[in-house]
Amino acid sequence: MPGPILLALALMAGQDAPSKTWTVPRTPDGHPDLSGTYDTATLTPLERPAQFGDKLFLTAEEAAAIEKEELNLSEDLARPSDPEREAPPVGGDGSPGPYGNVGGYNFFWIDRGTEVFELDGRRRTSIIVDPQNGQLPPLTLEASKRAAVRRALYKENAGENTGEAWWVEIEGPGPYDDPEQRPLGERCLLGFGSTSGPPSLPVLYNNLKRIVQTRDYVVILVEMVHDARIIPLHREHAPKEIQKWMGDSVGHWEGDTLVVDTTNFGKTPALYSASENLHVVERFTRIAEDTILYQFTVEDPTVWTKPWSGEYPWVSTDAPLYEYACHEANYSFGGILRGARLLEAEAAERRK
Amino acid sequence: MRSYPAVVPIAFGLFLAVGVPASAHHAFGAEFDPNRPVLLKGAITKVEWVNPHAWIHVAVEKDDGTKEVWMVEAGTPNTLLRRGFTKDSLLPGTVITVDGYQSKDRSNRANGRDMTFPDGTKLFMGSSGTGAPKDGKDPTEPKKPKQ
Repeated sequence: MPGPILLALALMAGQDAPSKTWTVPRTPDGHPDLSGTYDTATLTPLERPAQFGDKLFLTAEEAAAIEKEELNLSEDLARPSDPEREAPPVGGDGSPGPYGNVGGYNFFWIDRGTEVFELDGRRRTSIIVDPQNGQLPPLTLEASKRAAVRRALYKENAGENTGEAWWVEIEGPGPYDDPEQRPLGERCLLGFGSTSGPPSLPVLYNNLKRIVQTRDYVVILVEMVHDARIIPLHREHAPKEIQKWMGDSVGHWEGDTLVVDTTNFGKTPALYSASENLHVVERFTRIAEDTILYQFTVEDPTVWTKPWSGEYPWVSTDAPLYEYACHEANYSFGGILRGARLLEAEAAERRK
Repeated sequence: MRSYPAVVPIAFGLFLAVGVPASAHHAFGAEFDPNRPVLLKGAITKVEWVNPHAWIHVAVEKDDGTKEVWMVEAGTPNTLLRRGFTKDSLLPGTVITVDGYQSKDRSNRANGRDMTFPDGTKLFMGSSGTGAPKDGKDPTEPKKPKQ
């Protein structure tokens, strides 16, 4: 064999060596060591943007375009404002969703990552891998009806904010009658957007997770809202009557993969639309020195017409996971309820 | 791929554009009144560097010359801490400009829709992209508007 080819082969072998020789670190009981702090932020969304159809992978150019778009947005929003600007428009600024016609706050508070995620060297269009179109399956008829009722009642959470107590005109309870009607995130019981999970999904900021592992337990500390998922291994689920905010999780090892099964949810799990019938199976596999492959399957036959699955990497980070005391300074919650009372009083006054 | 509103102080990127339930700790629409826009200018008296939202207290001078303190709701401090900002990064006495909407409970609270220094530069924005403090070494650093 000619010398240059031999040399090339030797070089290739040398390049491959690190990935071939990497072995998963193990705990004294022999299982893969998953412990560490992970940043789960990614620009890849849960559901696939429509233009990608059934395509799971992005080309390098498509990935670069998405990342550039995010960079451009952050640079645009970092530019100075007009120092002579006036107050925003009366009647609202038209901002949608939870920004509720009044805007949110500056972009520098946001931290949702700067890159789409990559697995096996290929960048992804969505976290959802099943159904094949990367979309959540259709809701059941009953779930659609519930969602419509909820949307109509929680208008301000969906951007329809007139600053009026419109709910005094409707039959039945209004959206602000009772603190326990308000969303769990607003009440500091769980972080918003299923950051705690299960399944754990990336959100606008504070996407750090810390895993602590012993022979009999795995704990996942979720930065927001200081939620600790305590997962006993090799144990049966709690009795059905016992419901928990994040469900009842039990784990076991299948080879080198930690499998976590969660049932016993309350009426409003962290996962949007889900019900107390939610069942989630998560799989944690350490696939590289700095990466856990996080996979999950969701089923709730009273909400979705079929199960759905997703996957994305949890990437280890040196960044510290900070405390997230939430109740103590949750001034917003009192403000929301007081505001509703005041608007109701004004509406009553007008009707006299 | 998509276009964004020209001046929006919050992200409407990929995440929100594909129908994932957009959420934050609370719905701003539940807390603030679109019929009561405010423009607040004054010196910071206190910064509550707390979760779920930081609150920045500003002494605003009224038309009659007296001052009243407004509380401005901001985001989670954890994000800024991770980028190297600390409690010393925004001190009492610093004059800022804030536009937003007053809370529905009519207390002196507003959302910090856009928080800037008097010259219009954003609070906590240093070199673009990294969020690192300004040191003038980043050629993409936003230039200050001419006075």
